[in-house]
Amino acid sequence: MKRMSVGFPRMHKERGERRDFLPTFVRRISELGVPVILEQGYGSGMDISARSYTGTTKNARFGSHEEAYSQDLVIVLRYPNDDELPLLRSGSCLMSMIHFPTRPGRIKQLKEFNLEAVSLDSVKDDTGRRLVENLRAVGWNGVETAFMVLGKTFPGLENRNRRPVHVTILGSGGVGAHAMQAAIRYGDTKLWERMVRQAVPGVRVTVVDYDVTCIEHEMLGILEETDVLVDATQRPDPTKVVIPNDWIAHLPEHAVILDLSVDPYDCTENSPTIKAIEGIPHGDLDQYIYYPEDKAYDLLPGCVSTRHRRATVSCYSWPGIHPEDCMGIYGKQVFPLVRVLMEAGGPTNIDPRGTFFHRALSRAMLSHWPTAQGESV
Amino acid sequence: MNALQSVGLPRMMKEQGERRVFLPDFVHFLTALGVEVFLEEGYWSDGGFTIEEYQRDNPHVHRCSREEAFDRELVLILRAPERHEFNLLGRGSCLVTMLHYNTRPWRVQRLKDLGMRAVSLDSITDDNNLRLVENMRAVAWNGIDAAFTELERSHPHLFERYSCPIRVIVLGTGIVGKYAVEAATKMGSLNRNEGYMEKGGTGSVAVAAGRSVTSRTSIMRTLLESADILVDATRRRNPSIPVVPNSWIAWLPPHAVVADLAVDPYLPNDRPPVVRGVEGIPQGNLDKYVFLPEDPDWERDIPDGVPTQNRRTVVSCYSWPGVHPQQCMEHYSRQLKPFMELLIEKGYDALSPEGGYIERALYRATLRAWLSR
Repeated sequence: MKRMSVGFPRMHKERGERRDFLPTFVRRISELGVPVILEQGYGSGMDISARSYTGTTKNARFGSHEEAYSQDLVIVLRYPNDDELPLLRSGSCLMSMIHFPTRPGRIKQLKEFNLEAVSLDSVKDDTGRRLVENLRAVGWNGVETAFMVLGKTFPGLENRNRRPVHVTILGSGGVGAHAMQAAIRYGDTKLWERMVRQAVPGVRVTVVDYDVTCIEHEMLGILEETDVLVDATQRPDPTKVVIPNDWIAHLPEHAVILDLSVDPYDCTENSPTIKAIEGIPHGDLDQYIYYPEDKAYDLLPGCVSTRHRRATVSCYSWPGIHPEDCMGIYGKQVFPLVRVLMEAGGPTNIDPRGTFFHRALSRAMLSHWPTAQGESV
Repeated sequence: MNALQSVGLPRMMKEQGERRVFLPDFVHFLTALGVEVFLEEGYWSDGGFTIEEYQRDNPHVHRCSREEAFDRELVLILRAPERHEFNLLGRGSCLVTMLHYNTRPWRVQRLKDLGMRAVSLDSITDDNNLRLVENMRAVAWNGIDAAFTELERSHPHLFERYSCPIRVIVLGTGIVGKYAVEAATKMGSLNRNEGYMEKGGTGSVAVAAGRSVTSRTSIMRTLLESADILVDATRRRNPSIPVVPNSWIAWLPPHAVVADLAVDPYLPNDRPPVVRGVEGIPQGNLDKYVFLPEDPDWERDIPDGVPTQNRRTVVSCYSWPGVHPQQCMEHYSRQLKPFMELLIEKGYDALSPEGGYIERALYRATLRAWLSR
C-alpha cells in the first residue's frame, strides 16, 4: 500500500492570522512513517523555529507553497483562497474547516477539481457531537476581550462598591453556554480570582433566546441595564435582525457589544443579510476592537444603519487570538483522524460502518456528504 | 477472535420508578460483535419490553437467573450494584457500571478485595479530561422541564400572553449549569416553548450567577425576590455550607419552584456535616421527585437540625436522566458502542494507556488505572 504524503501549507489570510499546527502535531504525523512537507515559514507567525518541526524527524521537510499543496493529504485549518485550490492534485484530499452546510459553493468547487475532502467542522461522533471544535475559545477569548474594553469604558470595574456587572447573552446554544461560563469569570480566571479576593461584586449573566428577543419592551428594559451585550445567536434567517440599531441607543454609554456569531453583511441581495446586532463592524484577527468613532463604521454597506454605536469587539476567528492554545487543541483533536486515514490507506477505505473514527470521518467526507446528510447538494 | 465471549445484563433493582434497561437494538449490537448476551429474568419488563423484542431472530440472546447474569465475563449495569451484590460477580468478571471511584471509596476497596476487574463509566474521559459517557444535558433538561410543569400546573396565569417572561435563576455555571440555562430559555421543553410562542406568550429569561454573586446576601435577595424558578446547579467547594440558607427561601415568591439539579445528599454524621446546596429541601428519586410545601416527606427525610420552616415547591431527583428512560438509554448506547467494541475485542487486561483514542479513554476508567494513580 502506497504511503500517503501530507502537506501543510500556510494560511495566507489577514496579517493577524498567525496560526499553524504545532511541531508536536507534525512530529506525531511524521512518526506514522509518512513524508511531510511544510511550506517555508510554517510556524513563523507564532515564532516557532523551523528546526522545531524538522529537528527530530527525518520524514518532515520544508518546501514551497505549491509543493505543500500537491501532497496526497493537505491539512490547512481555514479553507484555501480561490487561487490556492487549483494547486491541489486531482484525487488528493483536503482536510480543512469547509463548512459544507453553509458553503454549497465550496462543495461544487471541490467536486469540479475532483478532490476528496474532510470538513473538520463536520467530524462528529455517534451522538452528533463535533470532535474538532474550539467553541470554548470562541466564548472565552471574546468575553476576555470584551471585559478588557469594559475596563476602559467603565473605570469603576474594580470598585468594590459597584453593583454586579450585567452581561446579557443573546442565544443559549453551544457558544452562548461557553460565553456564560466565561462571563461569570470575566473571561479571565486570574482576574476573577483577584476580584473575589478584593470583594468586588461579581457578574450576573442574563440569557435570552428568540422567544424573548422578539419582545421589544422586554428587550429595551434588559438593554438599559446591560454592561456587556453578547451576540451568540444562530439565526435560521440571517436577514432578520435581533437588535435593530435603534435599540442600541438604550444601552448605557459605557456598554460593550461582543460579537461571537460573526455573521457577515451582504447588501447585494433583495433581502440583505445583516448581523444580528445591526450596525456593528465585522472584525478579524488584524482588528477586533472598535470604539464608536472608528472609521470601520463608515465602511459598512449602505443598507446598514450605524447611527447608534457602542464600543464593539468582533472577530471572525476568535480562537486565533491565542494561536498556540488554539492549535494545541486542534492538534489533539485532528491527530486521531489523520492516523485513521493513514492506517486505512487513504479516504477511499474509510468505512461508514467501521470503527468510531471511521464513522466520524465518513460523516465529514465530501464523497459521503449527500448520503450522510440525506440531502442533495 | 474476541477476548470476551459473554455479556451479562442484570436488573438494577433500585426504586420502582427506575425503568432504564439497555434497549433491544443495543443488545443486538452486542451480539453482532460476536458475544452471547444473558438477560436476567424480567430485565425486559423493567423497561416495558418483551423478551421477544430482545430475542427476535437472534439466537445469541439468552434469559437467565440473576446469579448467572452476574457470573459473566463482562457485566454491564448502568447504576452500580448494592454493596452485597458485589459478591455475585464471577471470578474474573469485568464489571462495567457507574462506580464513581472518587466519591465511593468503599466500592473501590470492595472490588480490590475481591480481585475484580472494573470499568467505571463516569471515568471514561478523553485526553482533555472530558467525560465521554454522560448525560448532563438530560439532568438539566429533565429537571427544568419538571420545574416548568409544576409552575404551569400551579400558576397557569404566569404563562399568559401579557405576563412578564418567566424568570429562572441558575446558581452554578459548570456543565449542568450551562445546560440548565439552555433549557431554561426554552421553558424546559421545545414543545412547550413553541406552544407558548404560538399563543403570543412572553417566554423565559435565564439569569446565571456564580460564586462571586451567590455569596452576597443583598444581591441574592434581589435575585430571589424576582425568581419564578430557582435552580441549584452548583458544585460547592465546601459542601458543609449551603449556597441558599433556608431563611433566604422566604425571599422567593410563594409560587416559585426550586429545581434541584445538584442532588447533594444530607450527611449529618460526616465531620463537618454535609448539607444540601439549597438548605431544607428534600431529596427525590425516580419514584417521587415533586414535593409540595405541605408534603409529609419534608419531615420524614430531612435530618433533625436542618431548618425547613421556609418552603416552596421542590423538584429533586437523584437520577434526572431516568425520567425519560428510553431517550436516556438510547443516548448512553450511542456513547457506549465504541467502548464496548474495543473492550470485547481486546479484553480488560490488554487495555493500554498507550493505545488509540478510545483505548486510552477506556483505560483511564479501569480500576487498575485508578489504583495506580
